Amino acid sequence: MTTTWHADTALLTRYASGELDQARAYSLEAHLLACDTCRAGVAAVSDHAQLDRMWAEVAEAVDAPRTGVVERGLVRLGVSDHVARLLAATPSLRLSWLGAEALALGFAVVAANSAITERGRSLGTFLFLVVAALLPVGGVAAAYGPGLDPTYEVSLASPMRSFGLLMTRAAAVLGTSTVLAGVAALSLPGMGWTTVAWLLPSLGLTLASLALATRVRPLVAAGSVTFAWAAVSVILAHASHDRFEIFRGGGQAAFLVIIALSTIVIARRREAFEQGVRE
Amino acid sequence: MVVNRPRHARRQGCEVGTRPDEPRTDEDLLGEVAAGDRGALRQLYERHAPWLVLRLSRRCADPGLVEEVIQDTFVGVWKGAKRYRGQGEVAAWIWGIGIRRLIDRLRRHPAPIPVAAQSREVMTSAEDQVLLGVEFGDLGAALNRLSPELRAVMQATVLDGLTTKEAGRLLGIPQGTVKTRLMRARAELREVLA
Repeated sequence: MTTTWHADTALLTRYASGELDQARAYSLEAHLLACDTCRAGVAAVSDHAQLDRMWAEVAEAVDAPRTGVVERGLVRLGVSDHVARLLAATPSLRLSWLGAEALALGFAVVAANSAITERGRSLGTFLFLVVAALLPVGGVAAAYGPGLDPTYEVSLASPMRSFGLLMTRAAAVLGTSTVLAGVAALSLPGMGWTTVAWLLPSLGLTLASLALATRVRPLVAAGSVTFAWAAVSVILAHASHDRFEIFRGGGQAAFLVIIALSTIVIARRREAFEQGVRE
Repeated sequence: MVVNRPRHARRQGCEVGTRPDEPRTDEDLLGEVAAGDRGALRQLYERHAPWLVLRLSRRCADPGLVEEVIQDTFVGVWKGAKRYRGQGEVAAWIWGIGIRRLIDRLRRHPAPIPVAAQSREVMTSAEDQVLLGVEFGDLGAALNRLSPELRAVMQATVLDGLTTKEAGRLLGIPQGTVKTRLMRARAELREVLA
């Protein structure tokens, strides 16, 4: 198709300023779709400062790194983009980590369900409770501090307070592992109080390891808490007639105290997280 | 109306074997954009953003919103360049993206009133009327005499290639109203031209 008609500058200027009557504007608009000479004419009478400003925005959007599924999902849920980026970079919120958690829980659930004797089933349930309570401890420890967190140096240098970031991530990790353990608990044999008995211990252990991390390295803190928990629960299970002793009233009350104490310690010593977690 | 003679025959995409110093066609550029060339996107932007700004501004009174739509559109071109299969003019393809992004934005922020729907009547001088009669026959004059509401639906459906549903979203009126106004507009034009 060859067009010999072209709009002159006067017509284009009137169109650009919105003074052109409708019929002529229509015909010009239809023509512009098919004529690069006239499009160049429009460009000549356009506001280049505005065009350059808009291009800068386009270039920025085009250059922006592609965001992952998790990050986009978080943003869609109303999480602001910088928090979403930091959450998505949390090692213990990655699929591999969540997969490992699910595997550990699944193992305990299978053990509890496939045991033939009553004693075996109760042992499996006990194992499940101990593991479920420990999950967020490891997750939170991996969510900050040198070595495991790929954004550790970045977050130290960022204007966002490390403590705020740590709490955000800890909450996210606690949330996801609680959901995982909650789902797994539904498949335990004999639904009862055992399906929720790990909730307070898991919160207490997580806070205790955070409180400890104000003194020692995060991994050491998490390791100590894990060791202490495993030792106390096993020893108590052997010493008393009831294997679930630590999950009963007395144990749950003790965890309430631990939660309260740890919260106080974390709140009073939160500056310890600001200068970078201890190496 | 001045008729500019082009200095050289216009090239229209179908030409092959262009010399290296020849400007590339829109189709070539779009192919390079699809391959991830940002420079090609910049060239397409320089060619097509100016007219797109003006055309969208005639359909949306909020300049800030038009700017956002332009940005959306070219980010859309960047991401969707692979979906262009050589069907029709690149300009028409870009327009299709632009007008639909505008509709999307208007659905989220329905505040601004399209310029065309406002009764911002442009007085046509007697001389212009005569010229219009020469250029378009009675059709131009008849179009200009349509009420702004009827003209807006004609513009959205006939010129901008929108469905009645999309036109309704653009103009902020129900689809049924678009249909009845379109029928009235056609009847008026038919009456004038009969």
